[in-house]
Amino acid sequence: MTKNKILSKVKMPFCQGCGHGIIVRSIAKAMEQLGYSNHDTIIVSDIGCSGLVDPLFDTHSIHGLHGRAPALGVGVSLGLDNPNKKVIVIQGDGGVTIGLQHVLEAARRNIDITLVVMNNLLYGMTGGQISGLSTQKFKEQRHFEVDVPPFDIVKLAHASGAAFSARATSIKTYTDILKDAIEVNGFSIVEFSSLCTSYAFKKLDELQEVFEEAEVYRNERIPVRAHHKKTKSLLNNLKIIEKEFDSKIEKRAGIVLAGSAGGGVQSAAKLLATTGMFSGLHSTMKGEYPVTVGTGFSIAEVILSTTPVKYTGLETPDVVIIVSDDGWNKIKGNIKENSTIILDNSLKNEETESLKNKVVFGDFNRAAGKRGAALAALAYWINDSGMMDIEALKKSVSSHKYSKVLLEAIEARLTVFI
Amino acid sequence: MEKNNKQMVFTDASMLITEACVKAGADVFIGYPITPSNRFYQYGTQRFPSFLAGPDEITVMQWMAGYSAAGKFPVSATAFPGLALMTEGLNMAYAMELPMLLILTQRLGPSTGSATTGAQGDLMFANGAISGHYPIPVFSHSEFEDSWDMTYEAIKTAIKFRTPVILLTSKELVMTNKSFDLSQLKEIKPVEKFSTKVEEPYKPYKTGKEMVPPYIPLGNDKYQVRVNASTHNDAGLIKKNDPESMANTRRLKEKFEKRIDEITFYDFDDQEGADKLIVTYGISADAARDAITELRDSGEKIALLIVKTMIPIPPKVMEIMDRFDSVIFVEENIGGIYKEIIYGKNAPIKVSTVNKIGSLISPSEIVKAVK
Repeated sequence: MTKNKILSKVKMPFCQGCGHGIIVRSIAKAMEQLGYSNHDTIIVSDIGCSGLVDPLFDTHSIHGLHGRAPALGVGVSLGLDNPNKKVIVIQGDGGVTIGLQHVLEAARRNIDITLVVMNNLLYGMTGGQISGLSTQKFKEQRHFEVDVPPFDIVKLAHASGAAFSARATSIKTYTDILKDAIEVNGFSIVEFSSLCTSYAFKKLDELQEVFEEAEVYRNERIPVRAHHKKTKSLLNNLKIIEKEFDSKIEKRAGIVLAGSAGGGVQSAAKLLATTGMFSGLHSTMKGEYPVTVGTGFSIAEVILSTTPVKYTGLETPDVVIIVSDDGWNKIKGNIKENSTIILDNSLKNEETESLKNKVVFGDFNRAAGKRGAALAALAYWINDSGMMDIEALKKSVSSHKYSKVLLEAIEARLTVFI
Repeated sequence: MEKNNKQMVFTDASMLITEACVKAGADVFIGYPITPSNRFYQYGTQRFPSFLAGPDEITVMQWMAGYSAAGKFPVSATAFPGLALMTEGLNMAYAMELPMLLILTQRLGPSTGSATTGAQGDLMFANGAISGHYPIPVFSHSEFEDSWDMTYEAIKTAIKFRTPVILLTSKELVMTNKSFDLSQLKEIKPVEKFSTKVEEPYKPYKTGKEMVPPYIPLGNDKYQVRVNASTHNDAGLIKKNDPESMANTRRLKEKFEKRIDEITFYDFDDQEGADKLIVTYGISADAARDAITELRDSGEKIALLIVKTMIPIPPKVMEIMDRFDSVIFVEENIGGIYKEIIYGKNAPIKVSTVNKIGSLISPSEIVKAVK
């Protein structure tokens, strides 16, 4: 049933004197005063003492992992995509420490959630260890570490773009500051000091380092919401290819193209594969290149077959076309003796001339330029071997966005000195 | 007989899987770039109704869980290094019972390994990904039709069982272009996400005989929804050592065990008189198909089992293996990971393997091993 009562009747589970209870009550009060119903409220909780809050709120709730609640809350907020629903994320200083990236990311994007940080300076559930938000004074007294300042999560969130970042120091102001935060359209964060009576309650001045004065920072931004777009099937963009030419390939032909990155090898291989399809063949193509795609070798394998190709590996290629040093260096150790080798003239040297294979040299680079050499060599092979109709290659190229240049590269083979 | 209304195109399985996701009703792609899942990211930006670029895989998994809890179906694609970071969130989403799809493109490990070299090395990790050895459904595909169908089944399973599902693939499966007849693809209709029948009074984790709680998004106006990753009762609140909570925890395993037949997928190509069986999945399946043809042509009597439901292990799959005197596992890894999941370290003498790392297992290598 929808109601404006946010706080449940469940007894607070916190230690006597713990500051968490008053923060929980203040959140509920702020939401009630702003008129939110329990069905408009989603509490996202973290791990630790602050993670015990779910049953205290008579609302929707989702209880996740240590430090991840802000990221989970971002997903809920974007997924709901409904400004009438309020996502409140609650986490402790330990959660902020382990999930700092999530806080900054939510702030950077200015996602519409309110993050409540209950800072008690320590990990209360595991024995009072220090967090990234523990103050120096607190740490010095316990001889944990010296000269390591805490993160100022309020300033960090502000610097990352949060619409609203604040630190609450006085209990009297809790509800009002939360109302300000909740009313903000975008990412808001409020850090509260919460004394841990079990591990840390010595003197209030341990907290003073960060909680000396209330601070409020604002960035005037609009929140980032989910983007929706209407899209069309990717398959609609694929060209339907029908057989228009004949081929002399009897069973299967494997062709390897090798050159340098940016040399049009992958694109030539794709054109070869579709040429095969225009010739009524089945085809496969796969590329290999270094992870730095703009430099080094570029290799492509194409299989053309009269029957559908299952295994796409190529153990012994029928033809190997190499148009640059990068390509030669990459595959020279792997040349099979039955393969026909087509090489650019620039690769004429002792090594290549001593190959036992059938080797053909051509002036592909000079005739068609660096980017056209692979295609020119391919055109040479198609024409010379008669395996497919050169018109099939031209057909394949015709719908390419650089068809004019590519057609020139194909024509270039005719002028190549072999 | 070949159909006359063929629609031959040149495409890749990354595109088919992306398209199948959106057709099945997936709402958002949340990605962090990693090779060899690059094309999913690229196609994801073009095709999904919503797209988000996460700052890391931990965040990706959290955003996915948030979307799913809010009633939107999220998809992501990664490789092992990303899965390592996602595993924390995957356990969370599993315990919360949130539907989502994670495409896992396998590459050569360990660690960063070789980003552009395929592998079949992540099944053991996926099998053990959930603490307590609760099964997270892992589906595998090989042919292009499979990539389409299994994506659909993965999304149906995620919603039907309220669970994250992993679609296990590999570099060569999703980055190789092939000529393909689009008219072979079955129609995919959007999967109905939300439960229409809700037993009153509603409790977020109360289940009936289907053993799956109703899927109702956070923030709805009718029911108060509580989602919880820690051990929880029917109300979705933390409660440990409580019979109701323990039943909920056990149910995470039982829901799959009891309904395993609904998610059992495999291709079994039997041959009369065969006493040998090749068992394979994913990228090695195509080589095995070629090898089987060659072996049968040479007079060998042999059957082929291509498994698609990898985890949980369907009893039907094991029954098939039991029927043969010789079972040969073909996998692109060292030692045979799937074999070890099925038979442990002490496989019976009838079990052998064909394994390799660094490149595809070829049909001739399989033929040689069988003969």
